[in-house]
Amino acid sequence: MKVIKDALGYATENLRADRKFYIYCFVLMIIAGVGLSGAVTALAEGHVHSNMSDMVPWGILISGLAFFIGLSAGATMVGLLIHGFGRDDYHPIGTRAILVGMMCIFAAMGCVMMDVGNPFRAMKIPFLLRNETSMFFISSSSYMGFTVLLIAELVSTIYVTIGKASRRGKKIAKVLGIIAVPYALIVVHSFTGTIFGVVKAREMWNTPMLPVHFVTSALASGFALVILVTIITSWINRKDLVSRETYNHMGIMLCFFLIATTFLDTFDYLILSYSGTAEGLETWHIFTGRYLPTFLINMVGLYVALTMTAFKKLRTPTGLFISTIVTIIAIGAYRINLISIAQLIPLYHELGEIQYVPNMHEVAPLIGLTAALMLLFSILTKVLPLEDKVHINNE
Amino acid sequence: MRKLTRREIVKLAGIVGAGVLLPGEVQAFGSMIEAIVEKISEGIKGTIGKDIEIPPPVPGTKFGMVIDLGLCIGCRRCSYGCKLENNVPDSINPPYIMVFQTKYKPGQVMAESDLLGKNKERGTLKYTRLRKDRMYMPVQCNHCLDAPCTKVCPTKATYKSADGIVMMDYNKCIGCRYCMAACPYGARRFNWSKPTGILAENINPMVPLRTDGIVEKCTFCVHRTRRGSTTKCVEVCPNKARTFGNLNDPNSAVSRIITSERNFRLKEGLNTNPNIYYLTDPKRKPMRWFKAEPLDMDIRGLKS
Repeated sequence: MKVIKDALGYATENLRADRKFYIYCFVLMIIAGVGLSGAVTALAEGHVHSNMSDMVPWGILISGLAFFIGLSAGATMVGLLIHGFGRDDYHPIGTRAILVGMMCIFAAMGCVMMDVGNPFRAMKIPFLLRNETSMFFISSSSYMGFTVLLIAELVSTIYVTIGKASRRGKKIAKVLGIIAVPYALIVVHSFTGTIFGVVKAREMWNTPMLPVHFVTSALASGFALVILVTIITSWINRKDLVSRETYNHMGIMLCFFLIATTFLDTFDYLILSYSGTAEGLETWHIFTGRYLPTFLINMVGLYVALTMTAFKKLRTPTGLFISTIVTIIAIGAYRINLISIAQLIPLYHELGEIQYVPNMHEVAPLIGLTAALMLLFSILTKVLPLEDKVHINNE
Repeated sequence: MRKLTRREIVKLAGIVGAGVLLPGEVQAFGSMIEAIVEKISEGIKGTIGKDIEIPPPVPGTKFGMVIDLGLCIGCRRCSYGCKLENNVPDSINPPYIMVFQTKYKPGQVMAESDLLGKNKERGTLKYTRLRKDRMYMPVQCNHCLDAPCTKVCPTKATYKSADGIVMMDYNKCIGCRYCMAACPYGARRFNWSKPTGILAENINPMVPLRTDGIVEKCTFCVHRTRRGSTTKCVEVCPNKARTFGNLNDPNSAVSRIITSERNFRLKEGLNTNPNIYYLTDPKRKPMRWFKAEPLDMDIRGLKS
């Protein structure tokens, strides 16, 4: 009881008298409300207003699932750096990184819930309804496990931060921080990639490289998001959360993740352009024809971000701010390419040209969900005893 | 008489506007809440077709079908018949059976390069007039032996039954559409909205009515075939292009045809082992043309 009382006291103390923060929250609330009302309409009327069809059954929300799942990966990397590699300079962003991971996993699960036909029945997974051979079942179960893991990591980290953790508590925080990474990469992201990888009906998906590709792109986009959050928080607080040396190290890490992703992306497309099947070749033609903008955003974005992070001079907060945004957008475009556009290859030639461009009925709930989780993240960072605040208070 | 101030006019307009708009809005909001509550209840209880008995699989049977492309005249009676027999709503489009119209003459070799998405004729969705210089090809659920859809379904809502039929349990389907993404034959249909266009007098009481947010597909007319009858598409085909039967029985018509005539299955390279076989070699058989115009046919007469 005392812990809850203390926590509530701390929260109220931190929420008091910050007008700008309230305005920011109000704006996010409006966006979330408008956006999520679209999801409520879809729940009542079905996805009839969306541009999905029987030939393109998965739209932007499933791309959103893959995107947000990816983003949650990089967040766990910070825990590994702190606890596994002893990088104490990452300590000020430890809890924030966990929160970013949590919000991203919530967003991913929200995308699934908004996309399925009957989310209430979907809640019966994994206990009442299950099929162990389904990658969707394995993945959705792993997301729940990941959420529990992140919550446990958050609680233990907060205990350590406020100095109330016992020796055993510190050890638990350390172990959770380390195991979150292999769990996120091997269980969560690999199996999310496998959802698509096992589909032999779709040329672009059916490759054993897809889980690997998912892991690398997840690390790049997720770590980019953590860097971005760090920079924005530093700018808002007008005080650097981490040192320049740490920013440089972050940039180097991101560069390595980008090298792996760009390598896989480049050779994936290159091999596709020489495909041995008509479907593979058509995928390539669709990407570089009708859907050239997303293809270019994906490829050019990755190369720009890679070049920027490769130079030490550009691994400054401003340079990293640009390169992380470019990375996130480029990998977002990759998700759209991979999931939505890859379904445009007609299963029979006689079906002719299939089109899919997401409309506002699909995009609005995605924006609303993002706004709602940004709001939750902002409130949590405000009320929780994060490392930098406790450090400042102690001073 | 006192002149109204600007503020009073705005206030009055607001009250009148709200009076006009609000009832409609409230009604819309009420029906939305009602639909959501219905969905919650449906999700928890799962009541679709609970009062309809589905016959158990027939022991020792593996149902299969043969479609003779040389005999198919593209009338789409199979598609119409299936739609009525299985209570498929108008909101499901294309129907379970798609009939493609190719632009090639019978026997002509199709050039792969000509077919790369350049065919603008979306013949599947339209009930086009028959043309003697075209070939027609009906496609539907292939009831694969190694069905990719059953492996990927997270809830076992779609499953392979002992008699070879890929079945749907509508009360387990969460509407994730993974089966649709995984089906190489584009045979599955999602209820994107509440089903529309089923006339009360046309409802087949043997087949459950579905709701929005779930997937449905051809069931080889399980309510008929497991009771010893044939599928509706076979029954209504005017040119006897379709044959249905037990593939495990060497003396059945389907077994005899596939062992004696040149045949192929769709996308065999994917190793899904479809249970629908196509007969080719259209040159061998002269096309027999069906006398009635397909567009004028008596749809409701099919039910009798």
